Amino acid sequence: MSSQAAHVEPIGIYLTVFGMLIVLTMLTFAVSYAELPGNWSLVAAMTVATIKAMLVGAWFMHLKHDTRFNLMVFLSAFWFMAVFFGFTMTDLTTRGALFEIRDNHALQAEKGEKYATPAVLNEGAHGAEPGAGEGGH
Amino acid sequence: MNLQTESEVAAVPEGGVPDGGVPDPGEDHTHLAMHFHDLDQQKSAAKLGMWIFLAQELLFFSGLFMAYFAFRFLYPDTWLAAHELLDKRMGTLNTVVLLTSSLTMALAVRACQLNDLKSCVRYLWLTIACACGFLVVKYFEYAHKFQLGELPGHHYRFEGITGGAPELFFSLYFMMTGVHGLHVLIGIGIMVWMIFGPIRRGRVSSQQYSLVENVGLYWHLVDLIWIFLFPLLYLVR
Repeated sequence: MSSQAAHVEPIGIYLTVFGMLIVLTMLTFAVSYAELPGNWSLVAAMTVATIKAMLVGAWFMHLKHDTRFNLMVFLSAFWFMAVFFGFTMTDLTTRGALFEIRDNHALQAEKGEKYATPAVLNEGAHGAEPGAGEGGH
Repeated sequence: MNLQTESEVAAVPEGGVPDGGVPDPGEDHTHLAMHFHDLDQQKSAAKLGMWIFLAQELLFFSGLFMAYFAFRFLYPDTWLAAHELLDKRMGTLNTVVLLTSSLTMALAVRACQLNDLKSCVRYLWLTIACACGFLVVKYFEYAHKFQLGELPGHHYRFEGITGGAPELFFSLYFMMTGVHGLHVLIGIGIMVWMIFGPIRRGRVSSQQYSLVENVGLYWHLVDLIWIFLFPLLYLVR
């Protein structure tokens, strides 16, 4: 690690970054009044928030001139959050599919039909023959 | 913590061996703790420790954000109705106030780098003023919600929302903004302590400002969290 001789930014840079942050805040405030369809309001707001966060991180928190290692430590938290959010939301949003499969079974059992594997599982079964493409163990 | 005798020992003429076990001369070693090789190492260790703490803070808040997203997914109508009850203008005002405090904090650290401690203290007071302003706005928002009964859990008695589990939104609203507000409060405390403690006693200089720098990082993180809280709670429909 080279000498940490302080990298002093000119005051103008801080004021510029601050100005951009204020403009982005006003932008996201204005956009919130627009009737965006579906999840677009969430996407727009989160995009602006991420840009703001990057400005704060790079300039106010000096990550731009800090060591890569500190940057990695900080970004690792975002990686863990992505894993946390990703898996939890996948669970929440796809849990219904399991109930569909279960109900399908129950219906067939009621009718006295021969137990049949639901179409969803059948599709999966072809691609997952034993030993093929299962390198993850 | 500081080994005062180190400074006398380190009075070696310039041009010594930096990596030969001898502390790098030509620097002020007044603030060098005995278990560090030189000031650079001490500074980078202090900063790395701070970044690890900040990463932990993010993970700590991520649980609340996850709960927000999960219940938003499960009760979209409630979320839409409830977020209309929050005052966007108050939220935007507070965002501007907190961004301003981040600017003044960055300038306080810059003043330290230039060894201008007078400006540093002035900027810190400005930061504290903004932080207090943030809490005052938050107080008015909270008071308004208390009055209407838009409260968490079984205290909830507002009747203006159609859709299931409106108390969940307000549980999360108060928890997220409350824990964030607690961080603001702690930040104010640390800044006041810093002004009357280490800075007044001359423990901070352009050679040794890790303390101010790390408190600055903490403060920017509090700002960073609000940057995400604000759109999620106030703006997103």
